[in-house]
Amino acid sequence: MSRKSFPFRSTGGDLRDLDHPGYYAGLSTLAQKRSWDEATRRAVTERVEKTPPIRFFSEPEAALLDAVIDRLLPQDDRSEARTIPILPVIDERLFKNALNGFRYENMPPDQEAYRLGIKAIDEMARSRFKQHFVELTVHRQELILKSLHDGQPDPEHAVWRRIPVHRFWALLMEDCVTAYYAHPWAWDEIGFGGPAYPRGYMRLENGLPEPWEKHEQRYDWNAPADSLSVLDEQGAPPEHGSLHGHGGSH
Amino acid sequence: MPHRLGPMQTLPSPMRRFAENETVDYCIVGVGSAGGVLVQRLARAGFRVVALEAGPFWDTEKDWVSDEKGSHELYWNDLRITGGTHPLALGSNNSGKGVGGGSVHWAAFAPRFHPSDFRVYTEDGVGADWPISYWDLKPYYELLEREIPIAGPAWFPWGDPHGHPYGPHPLGGVGDVLVRGCTKLGIRSVAGGPVAILSASHGDRPHCIYRGFCLQGCKVGAKASTLITHVPDAITHGAEIRAHSMASRISLRDDGRVDGVVYIDRDGAERFQISRAVIVAGYAIETPRLLLNSACPGHRHGMANSSGTVGKYLMAQAGNVVAGRFEELIRLYKAPPAHALSEEFYETDKRRDFARGFAVQTVGPLPVAFAKQMIAAMGAWGWGLRSVMMDYNHWATIGVLGEILPWEDNRVELAEEKDQFGLRVARVTFNLHDNDKKLIEFGKKRVTEIMWAAGAQQVVQESRFAHLVGAARMGADPATSVVDKFGRTHDIPNLFICDDSILPTQGSANPGLTIQALAARTADYLIRQGDAIFFSNYRDLAEPGIRYDLSPPYTRFKGIPRIA
Repeated sequence: MSRKSFPFRSTGGDLRDLDHPGYYAGLSTLAQKRSWDEATRRAVTERVEKTPPIRFFSEPEAALLDAVIDRLLPQDDRSEARTIPILPVIDERLFKNALNGFRYENMPPDQEAYRLGIKAIDEMARSRFKQHFVELTVHRQELILKSLHDGQPDPEHAVWRRIPVHRFWALLMEDCVTAYYAHPWAWDEIGFGGPAYPRGYMRLENGLPEPWEKHEQRYDWNAPADSLSVLDEQGAPPEHGSLHGHGGSH
Repeated sequence: MPHRLGPMQTLPSPMRRFAENETVDYCIVGVGSAGGVLVQRLARAGFRVVALEAGPFWDTEKDWVSDEKGSHELYWNDLRITGGTHPLALGSNNSGKGVGGGSVHWAAFAPRFHPSDFRVYTEDGVGADWPISYWDLKPYYELLEREIPIAGPAWFPWGDPHGHPYGPHPLGGVGDVLVRGCTKLGIRSVAGGPVAILSASHGDRPHCIYRGFCLQGCKVGAKASTLITHVPDAITHGAEIRAHSMASRISLRDDGRVDGVVYIDRDGAERFQISRAVIVAGYAIETPRLLLNSACPGHRHGMANSSGTVGKYLMAQAGNVVAGRFEELIRLYKAPPAHALSEEFYETDKRRDFARGFAVQTVGPLPVAFAKQMIAAMGAWGWGLRSVMMDYNHWATIGVLGEILPWEDNRVELAEEKDQFGLRVARVTFNLHDNDKKLIEFGKKRVTEIMWAAGAQQVVQESRFAHLVGAARMGADPATSVVDKFGRTHDIPNLFICDDSILPTQGSANPGLTIQALAARTADYLIRQGDAIFFSNYRDLAEPGIRYDLSPPYTRFKGIPRIA
């Protein structure tokens, strides 16, 4: 996984390498795995211990997409040993051509959308900044990606007349969060209790932790203040378009 | 190792296997909410039944995990094309694949439809009337509420007020938010159900442990799926469930009657199951797809499609999710996602500028699903996404479940593209109409108010849809519907449809319970008709009368609902 030195100012001074970002210091869902059922233990352990090889993307494509992912779901605050693999998970899905059950009528198949989309991102970088995307400063990378997020590609590129840019953005973001938030280190970060069969939960109300969970301990987390991806509550769009379906919820 | 269905139940063994070329009475396509109930009834009544299921026969201990990403295989992940002005997300959002179908990954809210749902056209001049009334279905609601069985409040005040056989579940954090918000605004709400989740152990099924993984397949066996409620009894009574069998075409004889189903087995070989009658129970997309893919001389535009309505009048419910951030911790991952609701806005209100209404229900997205909601609702990405996700435990989510009317242009057709079996895939078109848009705006606004009233400090919302129904609707008029009130196709006397695709309208109730109640009613009709189905073209529309002696074990006299 490629990592960059971080040129931003962050609220808490320089970004520190953390083994456990988030407000639940000491929470380890993996430490609970003896109380999980065998099939779940196997699936989650394998996710942590085995990173699939890159088989779908070429080497330059993989480097490019990895740089994109580093901005879509940055982990610069995580120590190297605690970085959650995202690119290999996306590569594996595309290599197996594992679908999510549907395709929008105006979208190409996922494999093709990825290849065309990341190529367009690199060409946008070259046309706007005369450098490959991977060589750009983090700020310039964010400028390119923010324009896709906003649905206003800058500079324009022919691919976005063929692929609806908001659908491509959703495809990328959803694949990224599916890799990141399926990982037990991310569960520890956000205070999610993880698998709970056969033990179950006993404290359902008032946000109380189970004996093996942790109370929240808030502090000023040092996300960089000048990243273009920091949420602006006033400027947050009311809705960003409908996306791939997450699990049926009613 | 025995085939496990939860920690206490095992699959009856051996299962009967019909020989190749052996004629059966019924070949059922699809073992989901409807197919599971149907195969159980028909087997108990002594018919020779084979049920084809495209997906696997789950061994819940081996195959299911307490994990979001690891549960991907529960869904219908094969290609479908989606479009229209408001394209529906498919995949994980609706049909299942594997024995139990969608009932394996439903959230298990199990409200009944209201009496008004069956007369929408008469009362409001929109949509369609059903060829049956609520009162025809009521005895089946009560019967299935015992068989599943349903847990919920003793007093459910909306529609036809009723109670539930098992007591309500304890309140989780999200339910607490819903009840607080509604109470503050003078809106009635109920908590702890109605859900198809056990609040006390039942036969060989344990009670709920509140781990929140309902949508990932309930390893506990507390949440009902037909895999554990009806399929074991079907096998005990001699039915064969044939997994990994993808139906490709229904076969038509020269005399205009069907004689079986062509399917592709797990090795990719084409096979034929000969049967005296066929019942399609494949869900609102695969059912019309199979009928359309079965076009043949005499049925050029799809089998049983002389009305031209196969695939049309597809519906989804509006499923907008309103998320609120609270100062205090909620921990929305605990307790079943489905556990509190209000149907106060269900009926048409003349003071509003649209017909019909919506329900308000808890939802409980796990981390990956919640991250996707934040991408959609807030445009979150990068550091902003990381930071909002660190507040996961501060958020509560409440859903609108809104009735969208049946429109002819919302439909399932065949795309040019083919799947791994060489079968043309479904193309789904979905457009919102004026009434739908007004209803959704109103629903979003009311649920947002509930969230603020509960004390949220920030409220965002995401548009989505849930529960596909329709696309092969029932009706009295063969010119405007596909099947009659018992699910028999108007065109072919020994071809039936029994699943959610026959619904003429959908109300604002989750359809699972209604699908199972309709399946039990169709089964009673088929049993009453007996051999006439196999030899006669006469269409007897007399009511069959409900059979109380065909329930699975442990359910007959358990917990009579406390009717108010």
